[in-house]
Amino acid sequence: MSGLRNKDAAYENSQGSVQGADTQWPRWEVLKKDNERKPHQAVGSVHAADAEHALLMARTVFARRPAAVSMWVAPATSIHTFTAEELEQLPAATDDDTGPLGRYLVVVKSTNRRSMTFGDLKGEVEAAGVRAALALALELAGDEPVLALWLIETGSVIRSEPDDADPWFGPALDKTYKQQSVYSSRATASKDAAEGVPG
Amino acid sequence: MAEQRMAANGSAPLTRTEEARLAAFQVRIDAGEKIEPGDWMPDEYRRQLIRMISQHAHSEWVGMLPEGAWINAAPSLRRKLILIAKVQDEAGHGQYLYHAAETLGATREEMVDALLEGRAKYSSVFNYPTLTWADVGMIGWLVDGAAIKNQVMLAGASYGPYSRAMVRICAEETFHHKQGQDMIRRYAQGTPKQRQMAQDALDRWWWPAMMMLGPHDSDSPNTPQLKRWGVKIKTNDEVRQEFLDEHAPELIDAGLKIPDPDLYYDESTGHWVHGPIDWDEFWRVVKGDGPCNAERLGARQKAHEEGRWVREAMAAYAARSARAGAEA
Repeated sequence: MSGLRNKDAAYENSQGSVQGADTQWPRWEVLKKDNERKPHQAVGSVHAADAEHALLMARTVFARRPAAVSMWVAPATSIHTFTAEELEQLPAATDDDTGPLGRYLVVVKSTNRRSMTFGDLKGEVEAAGVRAALALALELAGDEPVLALWLIETGSVIRSEPDDADPWFGPALDKTYKQQSVYSSRATASKDAAEGVPG
Repeated sequence: MAEQRMAANGSAPLTRTEEARLAAFQVRIDAGEKIEPGDWMPDEYRRQLIRMISQHAHSEWVGMLPEGAWINAAPSLRRKLILIAKVQDEAGHGQYLYHAAETLGATREEMVDALLEGRAKYSSVFNYPTLTWADVGMIGWLVDGAAIKNQVMLAGASYGPYSRAMVRICAEETFHHKQGQDMIRRYAQGTPKQRQMAQDALDRWWWPAMMMLGPHDSDSPNTPQLKRWGVKIKTNDEVRQEFLDEHAPELIDAGLKIPDPDLYYDESTGHWVHGPIDWDEFWRVVKGDGPCNAERLGARQKAHEEGRWVREAMAAYAARSARAGAEA
């Protein structure tokens, strides 16, 4: 299945395999759920020595503001990425593409609109290998455009516990000084900064 | 790959495939599509983005230092909490940006090493000293104000990871700007001593803030290509004009005097016009000879060395846990 992997070799290298004090720690992609009505969304990555460290880093880097109820991390090595071009030029499946039965989380980027997230979690598929999982994932996306797609090996995902939500994400709620609205001003100074923020 | 690089510089003939790819790439840009990791892109697009994003990341990291120096001396608990949150945000913004650069093939290690070894550039503005508490407010108002103008522009960039980092940073940074403006407005209406501190801070930070938006368009040779590729939506001078048009009237309204004798408002164009910028000073500071370059770099190197035992301990713990997991 290597042909279906992200072909950007340099990016793959950045995942690092040697764990020393001054070499790259592995890269972990972070999925954050803002509230109960929204899906988990891919927000960016952290580098960490192990899964627990990755989750702590994710919280520090991506949840300094209140909008979070759940956070997951997955090692980049367990994510199969597809660009729109790769999906278009996908070679026909062969028998060699069949792999062991596995579960995959499906993340889809479906818009070019200005956003602070890469894509949304669409659900989970179970299939014999990545190629079969991809076919199911594309069905899951339905009529939405698929501008990029990730299959994350479900077993590799480390998740915050429901009990973590309050101690982890609660404190940011009280830090109102991080909100521009608490500063009174006659000026409209930052109105265009707000334009960078999606609706 | 060599062919792509030369082609992007306009100095060598393109192969037919390259030509077609470049044309298709431009069609995607012109249609407002975002380029994502794994997509084909010209080498020069990748190279320019790594340069811009890594410099931006370094600026966030070094940007923690001038204000961080005042955390222990904040005049109230509230102001201390605000400042800690702001400096913590800059650390996070550096992380968003290192991540974005990494998707282009740079590694965080290489980028951090380049910074620590003095090979990397970062924003000239952070090489000026913070002499009084009022500097913290003035940095928020002017330096973050200028940075937001630039970042709102870059939020529209054609490269997905950079654009997303910018959207997230703008959303968070708005409060940095507001708290600075709020602080300086209070000082400008406060005791004679406070008013004097606010004016002194403006006198020292005005020109560095104007300069940080980069050389004039006539001295910015990369800009036309970066605009064609949708990396930049506006030129340095256009962003500087936005910054000036917003901040000049607000500073004057706050009762402060902008240290530019040639500054005036042109009613016919609706824009403020500034006097000449001392670009010699700008280049001196960018190239390492500013008031605080050595101090800033020294602080980052010290932090890196002092954190070494933590990194070693985490690596050892992770290795031990992995072994235990393998044996179990």
